[in-house]
Amino acid sequence: MAYLELNNISKIFGKTTAVSNFNLKVDRGELVSFLGPSGCGKTTTLRMVAGFENPTEGKIIIDGKDVVNKAPNQRDVGMVFQAYALFPNMTVANNIGFGLKIAKKSPEEIKKRVQEMLDLIHMSDFGIRYPWQLSGGQQQRVALARALAMSPQVLLLDEPLSALDAKIRVSLRAEIRSIQQKLGITAIYVTHDQEEALSISDRIVVMYDGRTEQIGTPFQIYNFPETAFVASFIGTLNSFNAEVTDLKNSILSIGGLHLTTAENLEGRKVGDKVMIAIRPERINFSSEQKKANLFDCSIENITFLGSIVRIQVKVGDLRLFMDTFNNPFLELPKIGSTAEITCSREAVIILNQEMI
Amino acid sequence: MNLITKIHKVPFWSWFWFILGVLYFVLPLYATLVFSLQMERDTLSFKAYESAFADPEFLKTFTYSIGLAIMTIIASIALVVPTAYWIRLRLPEARRIVEFITLMPFVVPAIILVFGLIRIYSAPLNIPFTSITLIPPLTNFKVGTNILIIAGYIVLGLPYMYRSVDTGMRTVDVRTLTEAAQSMGANWGTIVVKVILPNVRTALLSGALLTFAIVVGEVILASFLGVPAFGPYLFLLGQHRAYEPAALSFTSFLLTWAAMGIIQLITGGQGQTTGAH
Amino acid sequence: MEKSFLPARKNKTPRSSWKAWIGVVPFFLFALLFLLLPSVRLFVGSFTDNSGKFTLDNLIQLFTQQTIIDAYKISIQISAVTALAGGIFGFMLAYSVTVGGLPKPLRSALITFSGVASNFAGVPLAFAFVATLGRTGFITAILKNIFHMNIYQEGFTLYGFIGLCLTYMYFQFPLMVLIMAPALDGLKREWKEAALNLGANNLQYWLKVAMPVLLPSILGSMILLFGNSFGAYATAYALTGGTLPIVTILIGAQIRGDVLHNPGLGYSLAMGMVVIMAVSLGFYSWLQGWTERWLK
Repeated sequence: MAYLELNNISKIFGKTTAVSNFNLKVDRGELVSFLGPSGCGKTTTLRMVAGFENPTEGKIIIDGKDVVNKAPNQRDVGMVFQAYALFPNMTVANNIGFGLKIAKKSPEEIKKRVQEMLDLIHMSDFGIRYPWQLSGGQQQRVALARALAMSPQVLLLDEPLSALDAKIRVSLRAEIRSIQQKLGITAIYVTHDQEEALSISDRIVVMYDGRTEQIGTPFQIYNFPETAFVASFIGTLNSFNAEVTDLKNSILSIGGLHLTTAENLEGRKVGDKVMIAIRPERINFSSEQKKANLFDCSIENITFLGSIVRIQVKVGDLRLFMDTFNNPFLELPKIGSTAEITCSREAVIILNQEMI
Repeated sequence: MNLITKIHKVPFWSWFWFILGVLYFVLPLYATLVFSLQMERDTLSFKAYESAFADPEFLKTFTYSIGLAIMTIIASIALVVPTAYWIRLRLPEARRIVEFITLMPFVVPAIILVFGLIRIYSAPLNIPFTSITLIPPLTNFKVGTNILIIAGYIVLGLPYMYRSVDTGMRTVDVRTLTEAAQSMGANWGTIVVKVILPNVRTALLSGALLTFAIVVGEVILASFLGVPAFGPYLFLLGQHRAYEPAALSFTSFLLTWAAMGIIQLITGGQGQTTGAH
Repeated sequence: MEKSFLPARKNKTPRSSWKAWIGVVPFFLFALLFLLLPSVRLFVGSFTDNSGKFTLDNLIQLFTQQTIIDAYKISIQISAVTALAGGIFGFMLAYSVTVGGLPKPLRSALITFSGVASNFAGVPLAFAFVATLGRTGFITAILKNIFHMNIYQEGFTLYGFIGLCLTYMYFQFPLMVLIMAPALDGLKREWKEAALNLGANNLQYWLKVAMPVLLPSILGSMILLFGNSFGAYATAYALTGGTLPIVTILIGAQIRGDVLHNPGLGYSLAMGMVVIMAVSLGFYSWLQGWTERWLK
């Protein structure tokens, strides 16, 4: 049985539906991310698990018990906030030990547990410091320790890294993930940064406008997006409207161009409009290897992104991006010249929903 | 429906304190108003107001005070704005000293300020250890006394005026504005008049209104320096009459309210902390 | 291209040349003439006796002459009472419209009114209170006619200690509201939620987090209130006609040359007051610094 279950959760504020029909089963020890743009409902859902918002409808079940009727200070969940997480008037040690003190643990127990937590976040000597003496990253680590000190059943993180510098974000998210795995604690992680979600999650829930767009592993979400939103939100994407022209051979057309796809066109008719997507890294120059789909193109622009080189090409009326690994010895085509590009049938994905 | 669905708790204690506060605010004002309407026996009328406003002394002192207020505001702006501007742009080191000076009027309240002013300026101001006179005894001349009181008022208003302008300049980032104007070829004068002043208008208005409120009702400097201002007039009136002072007090309250209301409007709700007394 | 009269922005601003200080000369000159000199005059004067020689007598009299000691005592008492009462009342009011959950329009109304009331001091305020609690005042009449309480017979008088305190409260608690409302706003929602999340209830949150965080602001404001009350003159004079011997009234009498015929004593009175105000301001700044550090 799932450790954490959200059944048919919805939240309506007056006339606005912030979250609709949210369903999720989380296994014990899993880290699930809620990923989406601002206003998609991810934070609202998290706050409902924490008890700071009450669902208009639905159940939240932790370890078999429905907690919806429990006040936030009676749930066994630990929360890490995006900013202003720590109590400014207390030392790091007192911050971490706050929950234990409230729970009336003995001073020795508190001291021991606090030191354990400090060691866990690699800040063993910081106990006597005050929050204003710490950097942003350090503060968030202490906030994490404070939440974990209570050994909660579920750990909730509300965009904990959004307020930090890019470099810290990368190192800290790895640290959070490793601590979470080490302790085997079930966690929900809210973020709008897709790279963050992809790199640390066991599964991702992509949300938009209060709705769940897709739930899956990072691999699934990236390589097999089910909706136009998911496809466009995760990574870069070439997406177009196309028409079904040949059911048997799975051919789609855009303007005068024909694409063969590996997807099953069952249930569709000739003339149906569909939306297709091709990931930039799945398009290559045909000089390397010729695949099912082959086109002539003209090179419009070349952007150097570090490890990746992004080439903008024009095929007929279509504009495509293709990504290729940076190679100092690779000779790139010149802007304005023509080349032949190719991509496999499998690279052409059909999205379930119409373009919004 | 969930049990915790908030039955919106009526914040009883909040209302309790709020209503108490309202009562404390309103009752004295109401009492004053009622009293001021009772000049005619057994009926409510504006007789006290008519009588008060018809008094030639009232007009004289009131216009005098308004005049003082205007002069104070102008002089204050002329003193504070360039200084604040200069410090922001050219001399950040002076900031601490200047801010300290603007806090001084709190340490030296009006009664002490007037004491010092009188003691110094009722005698000629000489260069120390010589008999070369820099400033003749100001209190001997009407013009001198006026200068003195305006200077005193500037001092009293300094904390608010300076802070207001300084905050205003910080908010609009005068440095960037200046550099932008310069890169388009403006000279110094044009910059101050056409770029800086308009942008700190809100702060200036706010400071000006506050200064106005302080000056018009001011009593200490006015009475000790012997100028025919509204404050001393009102006080004297209170010794001889009953209803007119109440009428004028209520009017003065309305004026202060108007001034504060305007400040609220233009600053969008930033409270001014003051303490005139 | 015209050379910019702004020094180029550098990371470490070097000390400006002495020429830059010319710009602030008008301000400093003004401060010198009308703030510094008077203060220094009073300071020097307090150590001078009638014939112009240096003396510590005036200072000693501050601590020995009974009238003066009494004056300071009363002033300190009034200031302490109004600071405390005004502080508490003002805090509760500020609380009610911020954290306490009253509707937003009430909050702006309160802030505006507080701005007005904290400025509405002096003669008009005295008159207003006479109209309210004077012998023929509005409330006095209500208490007499409806509740059959003759407060003046019971010993109450507006024109004494209690009356002055009540009157001072009118500008004290609004000042507290103006300072505390922003401070209460500064209480981050996250702190309360974090506290609840860790198992605390509302009361525990207030006792362990909110109040300690607010304490420097509260104390600082009360000290400000203290100073505010201590330096007040006009209201007291208008209300009591100078009969209540508080320090400011005594100084006022000194300026008029009324009572003590010893100018040096007047100066030292003034100096004593300045010291008290300066110490208050010092404490206030120190507490402010604390708050700012915590709430970076």
